[in-house]
Amino acid sequence: MSTTFLPCGVYHENYKQDHAWWQTKFIKSKMFLLFITLFFIIPWMSDSYSLSICNQIGYTILGALGVQLLIGFCGQVTLGHAAFLAVGAYVSTLLVLEFPWPAVFIELGLAYPISIFIAAITAGLWSVLFGLPSARVKGFYLILTTMAAQFITVDFIITQYVSQIGGRGQAFSLPLGTIKVGPWAWGVIDSDIKIYYMMIVLTIICVVGVVNLLRSRVGRAWVAIRDNDISAEVMGIDIIKYKLLAFFVAGFIGGIAGAVWISNLAAISPEHFPWFWSLWLVGVILIGGVGSIHGTIFGSIFMVVVMELLQMAVMPLADTYPKLLMDFLFIKEAAFGLAICAFLIFEPNGLAYRWWQAKNYFNLWPFSY
Amino acid sequence: MAFSPTDKISKDLTIPKLFYSQAKKYGKERVAMREKEYGIWRPITWNDYFENVKYIALGLISLGLEEGDKVAMIGDNRPEGLWAEMGALCARGVGVWLFQDSLLDEVKYILDHSDTKFLVGEGQEEVDKALSIIHECPKLKKIIWDDPKGMRNYDQDCLISLKEVMRLGRELEKEKPNLFEELINKGQGDEVALLFYTSGTTALPKGALLSHYNMLTMGKNLMTVDPCKDTDDYVSYLPFAWIGEQMMSISCGLQIGYTLNFPESTETSQENIREIGPHVMFAPPRMYEQMTRTVQVKYLDSVWIKRKSYEIASYIGYHVADLKFAKKHIPFYWRILEGFAYLLVQKKLKDNLGLTRVRNAYTGGAAMGPDHFRFFHSLGVNLKQIYGQTEVAGISVVHRNGDIKFDTVGSPIPETEVKITEEGEIITKSPSVFLGYYKNPEATEKTLKDGWLYSGDKGFIDEDAHLVVFDRTKDVMTLRDGKPFAPQYLETRLKFSPYVKDSWVIGDNKDYITAVICIDYSVVGNWADTKKLTYTSYPELAQKQEVYDLVEEQIRKANKDLPELAKVIKFINLYKELDADDDELTRTRKLRRAFVEKRYQEIVSALYSDADVVHIDTTIKYEDGRKVHIKNDLQIRKVGN
Repeated sequence: MSTTFLPCGVYHENYKQDHAWWQTKFIKSKMFLLFITLFFIIPWMSDSYSLSICNQIGYTILGALGVQLLIGFCGQVTLGHAAFLAVGAYVSTLLVLEFPWPAVFIELGLAYPISIFIAAITAGLWSVLFGLPSARVKGFYLILTTMAAQFITVDFIITQYVSQIGGRGQAFSLPLGTIKVGPWAWGVIDSDIKIYYMMIVLTIICVVGVVNLLRSRVGRAWVAIRDNDISAEVMGIDIIKYKLLAFFVAGFIGGIAGAVWISNLAAISPEHFPWFWSLWLVGVILIGGVGSIHGTIFGSIFMVVVMELLQMAVMPLADTYPKLLMDFLFIKEAAFGLAICAFLIFEPNGLAYRWWQAKNYFNLWPFSY
Repeated sequence: MAFSPTDKISKDLTIPKLFYSQAKKYGKERVAMREKEYGIWRPITWNDYFENVKYIALGLISLGLEEGDKVAMIGDNRPEGLWAEMGALCARGVGVWLFQDSLLDEVKYILDHSDTKFLVGEGQEEVDKALSIIHECPKLKKIIWDDPKGMRNYDQDCLISLKEVMRLGRELEKEKPNLFEELINKGQGDEVALLFYTSGTTALPKGALLSHYNMLTMGKNLMTVDPCKDTDDYVSYLPFAWIGEQMMSISCGLQIGYTLNFPESTETSQENIREIGPHVMFAPPRMYEQMTRTVQVKYLDSVWIKRKSYEIASYIGYHVADLKFAKKHIPFYWRILEGFAYLLVQKKLKDNLGLTRVRNAYTGGAAMGPDHFRFFHSLGVNLKQIYGQTEVAGISVVHRNGDIKFDTVGSPIPETEVKITEEGEIITKSPSVFLGYYKNPEATEKTLKDGWLYSGDKGFIDEDAHLVVFDRTKDVMTLRDGKPFAPQYLETRLKFSPYVKDSWVIGDNKDYITAVICIDYSVVGNWADTKKLTYTSYPELAQKQEVYDLVEEQIRKANKDLPELAKVIKFINLYKELDADDDELTRTRKLRRAFVEKRYQEIVSALYSDADVVHIDTTIKYEDGRKVHIKNDLQIRKVGN
């Protein structure tokens, strides 16, 4: 059964129609407007600063998407997702900087796209490795094993060994123009607007991919495991296989997120992927709404924008209280904690639920039920 | 040759012949019917429809169906039911439909009286009914079922599944490949197609014999007035045992070729109608009353801004509808306001009720109150009254577009003459007038004189040549001043209140008029919840002082603009809802006045005495067979001014 509200006179004769994405003209036109906004209005209206915020939102969405998939749809709580972003970022960086690409690949601008793909695969497999304990443990214990992923990967392997490759010390520098997509001159990713377009395309591809997975057998299996793993197993679902698949897909998307993010950084170091970032991503989906793709997007926008506003509010005070500038990181963390508490108390279903309610208000017009 | 809806109906044409030509014309390309199953509307093409009917028909033949044998059908609206009916007709049998909720006695009476040879039931429930009476109906040979749920342990010889019947049909086809076509070609238009039992507000049901010609001319003449398209959708959810549903599904549906949609179950029909958004609807007033009640109740429960929007929009809607009723010019600013009201509320409201695409909505079979009628027109729904009866295979009189008066039922359809006798009885003559009652020549003689059908309804023709139906002749009341008065009219007015589910108005040759009210349990219950009134059951809720106050208020509203003598002076809240299973209503939910008057004579006499309370000591039977002894004091309340 489709869950969307359908107007009178729209009905389905087969399941293909029933599961179609955009079933009414109204939704189609809404999506068209969204497309216009994303591809034309935002780039046209925005300056470099607001574009960088948009890019940050995109990065957060890509990161949180994997967390949402694991926690919200498969019920596997993870607190180490930043590790997979790091794997993606490092694999891509190493490939771009160190791999002896044949000249033709460089010319055609294929090196970076290929590196994204390889980074995604690597991160996916790395994620499966740390997902293996999920075959045996769940809940609280799984949280700890995923935290282990964070510490082993970032704090140990990447900091101690990977960062030393090429003898550069802590950080790899990625000067502007290192990254090139496609054979054209404008394919060199050297401005926020180009990053924005790359980000938006990849975000759309990933969201579409995940939503499609969710309406397939795989997605139904994940939801079954989330709701009750024993029942799911009784129903004939190979729960280990599907759990590991969830870890793979989550890691894969995380790898893409990390690999894309390097285009936005002048240099990459392990400090970009702290454990706090893993926690942050979980906060994003809690605020957006667990078990909702809409929620992932709303949560990302909310968190990035609110933190940005907070910064704007705090900065003018820094002239009088210089210490605020120093302490901003802690203010941010406090605000994050406060936001989570507030949402858990007042809107445990997240922003997605509010969105659903708002839509219902008009769908049920002129009544309330 | 393919049939087109504009063709004249010849005496040679039969329903099976029409079915054959339509099925060949539309073939695999077009969807004949849909049934909602497992969340989707599973389509059945004309070709599938044809194949199924063919094998059912041949299967019935190989089971021993002979020309003129009766095949009875009972069950929910579903494709298989219609296939069975069409199969029976193609095999030159006669179709008989029973109401699905009929009690054993009714089933027995009809099966026995109609000499039914085969009974097609839906599933276990119908099979159980049939098995418990089969020994009393010696002519019943086989019971056919199609839903296997619960049927595993039934192994009686008289049972056979529809699948098995179709398998027999396939075998017979191998033997005699042209048999089906031969059977169809043998048919003649004036042969009996259906044996239809009238619900009968007074006596036992009478079986009306309807020919193919009756049915087809009926559909044809209605479609001349309001043409439909073959791309239209129609939702078939009312009992097939009601002539209105036959008229829409067979008479009209087959000629036009529109798609019939069968709901998932009776409970979901309202929701399913909303999904389909039919282009044409025909339902008895109670369905529209239910819709109105839903709107009224939801309105009461909404938030302030939604309530205000609704009030503004309905004010505009009513004003424009009244201008239209009066055939007055609508000033342009009211047109603009109408558009505003449409955008603000009516568009969504119609969507909510599933009326977005409705071109023509008909109501008939009982009286509909002017308030309900105006309500739908205020929404911009083209609701029309229909007048007809089983004996004319459906309807004879209908409203025309742009010529709608809510106190009339419109003017006769083509080829139909309607006259009023000197006694004020409505009589009809048309090609659709039935052949007579089955095994009941006296009743036939009384009803059918010189080709005129005597309806037993009182009415008159007004200055616009519209027919006005007053009431059943025997129901018309005489007021104290000797004037005639239709109780139906007052009852439908009372029912416009969402809190009143049923009402029964008394007052024939009495000093004043009184009413017995059945409150709507869920609506009044909801109201009581918001008022923090505690109650445990229907009888208790009905007797609450506050509920009496509420009902009194509703009666006062209905009394407004009525002549002094026609006002309800006293009323009583009944301790139960009126129910067809207790014989208080017919299966089409018409009040059986004589019966209730006898059953509740204590109440009637108390209403016309000085008593404030009437003591009730009775036994009521629940649907599950439990009997409960009820002792209750019912209050009598005078309606203040």
